[in-house]
Amino acid sequence: MAIGEGLPVKSDRAPLLTLNADRSPIFLGLIETWRQRELFYFLVWRDLKVRYRQTALGVAWVVLQPLLMALVFTVFFSRLGHFDSGGIPYPVFAYAGLLPWTFFANSVSTGSSSLLANSYILTKVYFPRLLIPLSVVAVRFVDLLVASLVLFVLMPFYGMGLGRNILLLPAMILITGLFALAVSAWLSIVSVRLRDVGTLLPVLIQLWMFLSPIIYPATFVPARWRALYSLNPLVGIIEGFRAAFLGVPFVWNSIIVAAVLTAGLLIYVVYVFFRWEDRIIDKL
Amino acid sequence: MQPIIQVNNVSKHYSVERTSSIAPTLREVLTLKIRRPHTNGNHENGSDLWALRDISFSASAGEVIGILGRNGAGKSTLLKILSRVIKPTHGEVHLFGRVGGLLSLGTGFHPDLTGRENVYLNGAIIGMKRAEVRQKFDEIVAFAEIERFIETPIKYYSSGMYLRLAFAVAAHFEPEILLLDEVLAVGDGAFQKKCLERMRQVSSQGRTILYVSHDLPSVQKLCSRALLIEDGQLLEDGAPEEVTASYIKILVASSQES
Repeated sequence: MAIGEGLPVKSDRAPLLTLNADRSPIFLGLIETWRQRELFYFLVWRDLKVRYRQTALGVAWVVLQPLLMALVFTVFFSRLGHFDSGGIPYPVFAYAGLLPWTFFANSVSTGSSSLLANSYILTKVYFPRLLIPLSVVAVRFVDLLVASLVLFVLMPFYGMGLGRNILLLPAMILITGLFALAVSAWLSIVSVRLRDVGTLLPVLIQLWMFLSPIIYPATFVPARWRALYSLNPLVGIIEGFRAAFLGVPFVWNSIIVAAVLTAGLLIYVVYVFFRWEDRIIDKL
Repeated sequence: MQPIIQVNNVSKHYSVERTSSIAPTLREVLTLKIRRPHTNGNHENGSDLWALRDISFSASAGEVIGILGRNGAGKSTLLKILSRVIKPTHGEVHLFGRVGGLLSLGTGFHPDLTGRENVYLNGAIIGMKRAEVRQKFDEIVAFAEIERFIETPIKYYSSGMYLRLAFAVAAHFEPEILLLDEVLAVGDGAFQKKCLERMRQVSSQGRTILYVSHDLPSVQKLCSRALLIEDGQLLEDGAPEEVTASYIKILVASSQES
């Protein structure tokens, strides 16, 4: 046979898999991602195990991070700044807001560099790459569960009980997780092409924290800015978390905005991710 | 004879960018308009690279095919395409069996995890189901000869132990098509012998193996056929002795040039 010609032997069977430059449909990518959920479990397990092996504080850090921040905020902003936390003791108010915030912020800061950090496996083995940012968010979700235990201690301490609102907590967690996934996945792709993302991101996250109702309640924002302010999905999310835990009324407008924006962003990002993931591997 | 792999006119092009500029990149991502790679073949531009050019061949089930070539010839690129890690720029690959790519050993090994944990992790990453790893776990540990240290974090392993464990997992990975990228090139003589023996066992089970190697004796011993890749092109496809001879000629010629 001549070298360089496609060989004449053709099979009458259909191939199990054909590899070429064509884009494959996104729903096939999603199905494959689901099929590899065992690997997803291992990636999450790996990150959790490694963290608890490597650090002396381990589990404690997951609780200490929001707790220390709540403490700092209480000292500086409650005593000195006098924010009206609507009758809720400020430490509880701050901590309840910090829970979804740390879930989101940590997911994004780790997730945005996750493809780069895992380049040593991505360049050697194929698996659906969405599993990587997905596993980052899942690990932070576990952290959220652990950190939320503090509220179950803190609230009774201040004589507060849980009401029916807590039933909506799973929905709030879901929205937060999906939003964190969308942002992380998008950034993970962009940061392979633009390494500046790594340096810019911490500053942007800091800024975002001040633009979200963590230290202060959303009511602190003047009414004429409130609508614009609520376009930040974290406004709806954080207020929603507070409502779920602390029994204050849900602010449905901002929650709906958060849910709709999250859904839209997620669809867009899944599309971008599957379109770009192969080109990204060439650059790793 | 039905092929198990059919490679048709596969080419791979890399564009080497000087710097990433923010504006075009952001614009691309935001508008989802990806700049398509160059579709015309004439690129003598020095900053662009055709790693593979128009590669075609097919493999039947049970063949053990050696792939020879100098460093940078494109062998690893070919294997990466076949194991789906990267996509070809042109052409296509039809696979009629499941592929397991072993482009390196111990993929995903983490130093802080124990030998046992890494076996499961590595197995999952290369494509073994957890149940399969559990079933073969004792065999894997026995093959690696590290029963005593299986519960120790692998950062404490010597390089030999690390390799033996990594290879032991890989050796129990049983896809229909196995792609090896110079993974037998490591370890001492006794270990290499064990590896070769294992490869022979695997091929006698009827699996197809594509074996990239610089170790010419092992290629002669294991392979029924060999491909010679040079500068991204498939130069020769035939009996191992002849292809090896051609490869040696290329090596000699290039060393005389420098």
